[in-house]
Amino acid sequence: MTAVARLLQTHRPGSEPLRVLSASGQLGYGIPEAAFAGGMARAPHFIGCDMGSIDPGPYYLGAGVMAAPVAMVRRDLELVLCAALDKGIPLIIGSAGTAGAKPHLDATLAIVHDIAREHGLRFRLATIASDVSADRIAAARDSGQLVSIGASDLDGALGSGLPSPGDEELRACSHIVGQCGSETFQRALAMQPDVLIAGRACDTAIFAALPEMLGYPSALALHMAKIVECTSLCCRPGGRDAMLAEMTLEHFTLESMNPQAHATPASVAAHALYEQADPFRVDEPTGTLLLHEAHYEAVDAHRTRVHGARFAPRARPSLKVEGAARVGARVVMLAGIADPTMLGILPQALETVEARVRGLVPGPWTLHPHIYGQGAVRPLPPAQRSAHEAGLVLEFIAPDAALARTAAGVFKQNLLHFGYPGRVSTAGNLAFAFTPSELDANEAYRFVVYHVIQEAPLEDIFKVAILEIDGAAGERPERP
Amino acid sequence: MTSAADRPEVRKRLRDVAPVVRSKNAGPTQLTIDIFFADAAGYTLAAHSASLTPSAVAALYGQSVAQMRRFLLPEIFAMKFSMPRQIVAGSPGDGDVYGAQQHAPLLDVELDPALDSQVDAHAGAKS
Repeated sequence: MTAVARLLQTHRPGSEPLRVLSASGQLGYGIPEAAFAGGMARAPHFIGCDMGSIDPGPYYLGAGVMAAPVAMVRRDLELVLCAALDKGIPLIIGSAGTAGAKPHLDATLAIVHDIAREHGLRFRLATIASDVSADRIAAARDSGQLVSIGASDLDGALGSGLPSPGDEELRACSHIVGQCGSETFQRALAMQPDVLIAGRACDTAIFAALPEMLGYPSALALHMAKIVECTSLCCRPGGRDAMLAEMTLEHFTLESMNPQAHATPASVAAHALYEQADPFRVDEPTGTLLLHEAHYEAVDAHRTRVHGARFAPRARPSLKVEGAARVGARVVMLAGIADPTMLGILPQALETVEARVRGLVPGPWTLHPHIYGQGAVRPLPPAQRSAHEAGLVLEFIAPDAALARTAAGVFKQNLLHFGYPGRVSTAGNLAFAFTPSELDANEAYRFVVYHVIQEAPLEDIFKVAILEIDGAAGERPERP
Repeated sequence: MTSAADRPEVRKRLRDVAPVVRSKNAGPTQLTIDIFFADAAGYTLAAHSASLTPSAVAALYGQSVAQMRRFLLPEIFAMKFSMPRQIVAGSPGDGDVYGAQQHAPLLDVELDPALDSQVDAHAGAKS
């Protein structure tokens, strides 16, 4: 019997609490081992891990690569996979490989296969493919079903959001994904796997799908999921240690597996604000979680009990979609500047040099200067701009890396020897920490799609598959 | 709500009463700022301050007031502002992909308890 089948057959809500262990909010950065072991010692009914996010920017989705270092991803996957299979409990992972598109899911599965071979593991694996075709986005747009996020959910206020993508922009997207929710996870879990690895997914689905299947109320399950998907971030002090939720039909109790991290009513309530534009509403494909009446009470100094969230179902499921397109090849030039006169005229100096370099290096390259100390992070009033030292990051983007390198190299030398009124440092304007100061910085991408498709046919979009993994069948890799 | 006797002689800055002032993306198109106050007094001072109204914070961030949302959470002594990002996260020209360092302009905002009415202090009130 598989782990999911066993849980569905044996667990009776109301007879004992459901223990949900959140092992990682961002798998691949080193799951803290002591807290995870502490969580396993509490005999959880299943383990969940979030593995992705849109936060690291468009590069990972666009390029199809993971943000987390592969060696650490392997270490974390090995830890949770072996622990779950050892205890015969389900392991659920969402947003595989950071962005959850096909290459991310494939890379994650390749690591899982490798771990299975090394340890001789046998298990039933369900997968969810989250890729969405450009044609589907275009069709949604053409039928008025594509709504920009940041514009739609402002209750009448004007948000900017991304504009409606054109056909060419959509074709330029290397990957487009949709965030599947509990409903899709439940379709995969109905196939009774031991392990479920989903492409791009709502963070909540990882932790809410099984409780909902077992009969726990959606509002309670989703609220619990929304908090534990960040592990111990909801505690004081916050952190990355595993988090345990114990659910009954009426409430759930949160407890960090780090004895020094305390879930207090204030710390847990505060977490509802984290990365949420609206602290009282969480949109899911099948409805909206409403937190206006959520109630948090201390069980003791370490644990907090929660109830009171409501769930407003949507008549038709909607789908959040994300897509990234290549902008060009990126080269950056790094230098420091310490001359007070040069610091005073830096923006004008860059403009003048840019004009000069455009004459020397024709072509469609763009320059994005970041002057650290003078407003690179946010606009600075003149009085706060650094007059004694600033860091210069010049970002060159061009259709191909050769042009970006050429523009960067020529720019560097022209800025180094740029003459300006009152110049005293006539031997050079720039301090390099190393050479070459111009570095290839991968490809540049941008988000083209960050929208909601209203009335999305979720079953048609998300493909569920089952793999029987038998790590003992093949030859095991030789170990040194 | 705030009497003249409560009024400090030297105006407090936000950083004097709020141990946590943080910013972060809420998705790549929106920025959200969470302010947690040390106690009810700090929260009340800030919630009544003319310098932390949606329009004052909109001006601070170069936004139109229609795009600035403020949430008051008196039960946990917290205040939140959400607004569109000026550049979509990670697009060329962005300087803060996570939006994690956009809180700074608020730190030295002086709190002015002159605004006695106008504030709906009910739990979950949006203003």
